[in-house]
Amino acid sequence: MATKRVETGRGRKAGTVRSAKQPVNRAFYLIIVAIAIIGIGSLAYLSTRPKTGRTVAFDSSLPKVQSQGYVMGSPTAPLEVTEFGDFECPQCGRFATLTEPDVRTRLVNTGQIRWRYIDFPLEMHKNTWNASIAAACADEQGRFWEMHDAIFAAQDQWNGEATGNPNKVLKQLGEPLVADKAKFDQCIDDQRTKPKIQAHYQLATARQLPGTPSFIIGDQQISEFLTYDDFKRLVDQQIAKIKPASGAPNTDSAKAAPLKKAGE
Amino acid sequence: MSKRMWMALISLLGLFLGAYLTLYKFGFIGTLACGVSSCEQVQTSRWSVFLGLPVATWGLGFYALTLMLAIVGLQERYSDSRGLSLIMLLLTGWGALFTGWLNYLEAFVIHAWCEWCLFSAGMVLILFILAALDYRHTRQFAET
Repeated sequence: MATKRVETGRGRKAGTVRSAKQPVNRAFYLIIVAIAIIGIGSLAYLSTRPKTGRTVAFDSSLPKVQSQGYVMGSPTAPLEVTEFGDFECPQCGRFATLTEPDVRTRLVNTGQIRWRYIDFPLEMHKNTWNASIAAACADEQGRFWEMHDAIFAAQDQWNGEATGNPNKVLKQLGEPLVADKAKFDQCIDDQRTKPKIQAHYQLATARQLPGTPSFIIGDQQISEFLTYDDFKRLVDQQIAKIKPASGAPNTDSAKAAPLKKAGE
Repeated sequence: MSKRMWMALISLLGLFLGAYLTLYKFGFIGTLACGVSSCEQVQTSRWSVFLGLPVATWGLGFYALTLMLAIVGLQERYSDSRGLSLIMLLLTGWGALFTGWLNYLEAFVIHAWCEWCLFSAGMVLILFILAALDYRHTRQFAET
């Protein structure tokens, strides 16, 4: 037992093992200090280094343009729903691929809501500005929504974790969608639609949104992933407010479960 | 090296991991180095915040506390302290439970994995095992 105590540094009497233990302690503290220096240095480097690969960033010298995003649906729809989205945000991608198809089929195409998408490219995402610019370039040829869907569906192929050259992938995604491929590619290379994305970005920052996706549904603002049932329930509530006399449209989720949180 | 030395070393590594993820969460680091998993999906999910603070920041505090306790435990005055061993055991046990809950969320709720979170979970588990061995040792020593 006495031997064990010496090895583990326990129960020793002063002076009996000090000479054997002190070099171990010294080495240990040297290792601790070395790791601490390396760790602090690495964190300082990571948090202060220039954001390499961020090929597009906000440029206040560009001319200001008026743009209110992209709209889908009937201009006479009783309710407009706005999404502030980031093409590189995983939860936005989840919404676009899982929830939005139902929203379009059941709510937009039936004239119950009008749908608006506004870019909110977040600082943390390396390639999101490229994607927004590419989508706006597709919009020049009337193919925004097709490009929007393609970008979200292939998020893992062009995002900051996948590539340092997102434009190459984005051009490939747009190829089957746009009529004039050369014009589309040139638009991406020139970042011609960047002022439009900046206008969208300013709309989002003016609202001080906490993140993406953020939805404005009537007088409600929700900043989290929504399932279709959650979304529909919120739409129903707002339409009921707008049309208290005539009543809300007959919908298929009138008895939907209470709003669930994202990820549930 | 003693168990408490290993605990201090692992805690220090965890401390920097927690600081890295916290800096990311607060926007000081643009993108996470994440080669094979979906770190961002996990780190931006609603489960990445607990009681108003990022989970990474809670982890940072946890590792700072275990590092401090392990270093204190290396001092001669506390080298055989059963109380200190028990505190470390309870702390790391709570940490292991919490990290187990986070792994459950990744697997069954978020459906995405963050390699840094898994790395941290491994470290917390090792800390708990070391704390349990340390507690057993101090108890045996007290009985002799």
